Amino acid sequence: MKKKLNLAPVFFVGPHLILFLVFVVIPTIYGIYASFTQWNLAGSPNWVGFSNYSTILFDTTSTFHTQFFNGLKNTLLFVLFTVPPLIVLPLMIAVALSHKKLKGKTFIQSVLYVPGLISISASALIFTLIFNKQLGITGNVFGSTIAWATHQPYAWITIILLTIWGGIGGNMIIYRASISGVSEELYESAELDGAGPIRKFFSITLPSINFPLIYTFVMTTAGAFNVFGQPLMMTDGGPQQSTSVLMMYIRQLAFGSGESIAGMASAMAVLLGLVILVISALQYYVMNRNAN
Amino acid sequence: MMSNQVMNLDKSAVAVGRKRTKVSVSQVVAYVFLGLLCLIWIVPVIFGITTSFRSQTEVVSAGFRLLPVNWIMDNYTAILENTSTAPILRWLTNSVVIATSHTLLVVVVISLTGYGYARMKFRGRNVLFFTLLGISFFPGVVNLIPSYKIIDALGWVNTSWAMIIPGLAGMGNIFLVRQFMLGIPKDLDESAKVDGASDFRIYFSIMLPLIKPVLIVCALFSFTGSWNDFLWPVIVYTDVDKMPVTAGLLLLQDIYGNYRMIGQLMGSAILAIIPTLALFLFAQKYFVQSINLNSGIKG
Amino acid sequence: MKRKLGALVTGFALTASLLAGCGNSNANDPNTITFWTPLTGEDGAYMDNLVKAYNDTNPAVKVKHVVTADMYTKISTVLSSGKGVPDLAIIHADRVPGYVKQNQLEAMTTVMQAQPELKEDNFLPQAWGAGNIDGTQYTIPLDIHANVMYYNKDLLAKYGAESFLDDNNVTVDEILSLKGKLDEGDYVVNDALLGWAMLGQIQNLNGDIQKDGKPAVDTPEMKTAIEDVKKINDAGLMTPFGEDGYLMFQSGNVLFSTDGTWSSTAHASVENLNFGVTNVYSVSPDKFTNRSSSHLFAMFNNEKRLDEKEKGIASFLEFIRANSVEWAKAGQIPASKQVVDSPEFSEYMQSFFTKDEKEIESLYIYTYEYYPYIAEAVDKYVGDLVRGNLPIDEGLKTMQKEVEDKIAESNGAAAKSGE
Repeated sequence: MKKKLNLAPVFFVGPHLILFLVFVVIPTIYGIYASFTQWNLAGSPNWVGFSNYSTILFDTTSTFHTQFFNGLKNTLLFVLFTVPPLIVLPLMIAVALSHKKLKGKTFIQSVLYVPGLISISASALIFTLIFNKQLGITGNVFGSTIAWATHQPYAWITIILLTIWGGIGGNMIIYRASISGVSEELYESAELDGAGPIRKFFSITLPSINFPLIYTFVMTTAGAFNVFGQPLMMTDGGPQQSTSVLMMYIRQLAFGSGESIAGMASAMAVLLGLVILVISALQYYVMNRNAN
Repeated sequence: MMSNQVMNLDKSAVAVGRKRTKVSVSQVVAYVFLGLLCLIWIVPVIFGITTSFRSQTEVVSAGFRLLPVNWIMDNYTAILENTSTAPILRWLTNSVVIATSHTLLVVVVISLTGYGYARMKFRGRNVLFFTLLGISFFPGVVNLIPSYKIIDALGWVNTSWAMIIPGLAGMGNIFLVRQFMLGIPKDLDESAKVDGASDFRIYFSIMLPLIKPVLIVCALFSFTGSWNDFLWPVIVYTDVDKMPVTAGLLLLQDIYGNYRMIGQLMGSAILAIIPTLALFLFAQKYFVQSINLNSGIKG
Repeated sequence: MKRKLGALVTGFALTASLLAGCGNSNANDPNTITFWTPLTGEDGAYMDNLVKAYNDTNPAVKVKHVVTADMYTKISTVLSSGKGVPDLAIIHADRVPGYVKQNQLEAMTTVMQAQPELKEDNFLPQAWGAGNIDGTQYTIPLDIHANVMYYNKDLLAKYGAESFLDDNNVTVDEILSLKGKLDEGDYVVNDALLGWAMLGQIQNLNGDIQKDGKPAVDTPEMKTAIEDVKKINDAGLMTPFGEDGYLMFQSGNVLFSTDGTWSSTAHASVENLNFGVTNVYSVSPDKFTNRSSSHLFAMFNNEKRLDEKEKGIASFLEFIRANSVEWAKAGQIPASKQVVDSPEFSEYMQSFFTKDEKEIESLYIYTYEYYPYIAEAVDKYVGDLVRGNLPIDEGLKTMQKEVEDKIAESNGAAAKSGE
């Protein structure tokens, strides 16, 4: 009996652990190692210790310092602008869809999910055309005369709208699945106590889906920190690099058209990873404490 | 768990009477909210679809029209005719094979692993879990190079294994399954354990049915994920014929970059979403399947 | 229940056996030349036709064409693992110095010996020269693709601007002469490939992007070029910042579009767009430049590539040299003189750029080793500079510093790999 108890966890988490070691840990360690080197992806990396980090963090005259902090600032802005709507909107949709007497649920759900399936280059093109003064909606229907991609705050608005449009589907179906697991009896007894829809949401729905909610918060935030496709395609980081997010700089350094500056790019990626780690740990800690 | 059936019976008649007015307000609110949202969401979709039926001439002619003046099929025929560099039907088959096997394995791995981290007791469990999760948060930029070397060492270059297996190591879905399982009352498996059930038995007969909706959601995510993975397939395949459709269509989508053939780009994007959309339409019945946890306990 | 359990176990057994490793890739088939190109879309189809035509001649070693999106990333991965390196690849001109410095390219010596017609005299000089580093020839050119200027014939007639084309040099002053004469919503020039156009102006002003091997972005020539082009913007004659000037040209609202040779097919697909092609506008009345790049055939280092195969590569490249008029369909200018001088090629619009020596000379390819960093910086800042969002002096200083910082990093990395 005792022996079995010891081996059982190995059976459950062991296979994944092996996969994780091979396909995640080894590459990640290599990435961290690269951050302590100068490397052009092709030759062997040249160990430079903490030099990349000190350049990025403290050498205020360096391009990489400027890029890192500008990129980090813009990434944080993107997180602040997109994460709340990517949590709240899908939640509201899922709650509305859980309304028993609603018709056309599958249709509504599909319409809201489909944009997430369209490739980012195609979605960005659709939005570029929609925000085009001559060809699109903003110019022809609403009479806007602004070039959205090159003027703030419109540049951010296009990026945020594209992100929300294409991004709510995943969380929406997580919430749908979660809410469907909440016992009907809980709602019924609350109704008997005279609870309205808002009170039912806050006193039953929200606490019942607390654990999945933590998941969506943490993962949506981590995902937003890794953004680059939307700003790259919509504004190319402009105007004046005000929408250049950190991942854009990192990718340009590592995979730009010149010789790769992969060591510096890795150091920036590691620093970004640390930021994500701290923020998601905080999120988890705060939300989990409230859950218990 | 906390309901009182006797009371339910008592008050149900009253409740029905009260429901009518109350529900209709919230119903209207729900309809208006969802209707408005759908309207906003569907316009770009329709615009994208109809653009794939427009000629370049029409795309660049001023003024906004949701529907094309002349519907043309040229964009699609151009995509489908280019069979030498872009064997789309072949790619679609590849994708179905890759995405399906990947998804099936994902469901097995994440449910087992999620169970391990959520319901089993072993030393260092949470430390291990959060360490793995933390590691997975580091953005993989140059990781491409070591990842490729590993695949190469395993002899998986230019094979589907390179697409099917590495993705199983991801933490996202395991985290989601774990969170779901944490929300399931503990008494469930504890009472089963008292009855002498093994962990596997609890996992298989109690947990699996309960987490079916979230497993379907995860399956959908991994199907879409392995379907929409661009860069990796380009790196691991040397044969165009073996590529999955999205990576293949990326080749076509560069037309936009080079020539800016907008209609063709849209056409290829739309062809690419058909299989995932079909799966979604099929799956959405299941992930909202109501599973009553409380009745599980009582029964 | 048992059956499901069985399926589960089988699934695991499958995974486990997979992990143990099986299957292998046979990248080094001696009878096939693996040929990678970044030619996605229709370019790839035209190249496919050429490869097919070559294979139909029943050569000893056949060519297998593999189109690869993100080819350079993929090259990095195979080079670092040393396995699966292609026999032949097409790379862009600005990649050559970097790869040569990293010791990644094999010289074309054997290939040129096998096919005597693969020699300097038979190709456009700048395309050939792009592959020559310190006297060693590393590449054989396929084409030149250039930044060019399309014009809308109807709009030129409407505004009486046809005379601009007379000396094949549309100057900034000529463009400025249209100030106040255009209908609302019409523009003289768009900002497509503005960075390329700006790098062309540096040549028009007899400047350069390097001085003694050091990058030179913050130069008087660069400043003059930006200031002059900015005048077009300030006069309201350039399509507004952030609007799609390329599409506006196609919709018939712009007189001149400064995009690439390769756009001609896309422009041709627009009905009622009556267009022609000329040189990119110039800030100088005496000189015009069309900043260009080139697709080059190159062999990445691979010990397993035998001489036999290199002979096969040579005969394929000789076939391309003689028959690449097909490639003109992609809008490019073939690099082979034989093709360029052929009557078939003269039917293509881009033959404008090979009609005389002066035109050929105007196709300028930068070969400075750190050109890609400079081009990246120019592309990133030129929009904001020309639109007046950023003071020119400050912008140029930032660009210069950015390029220098990147070069320092890249030298640090090279210090090790050169050992």
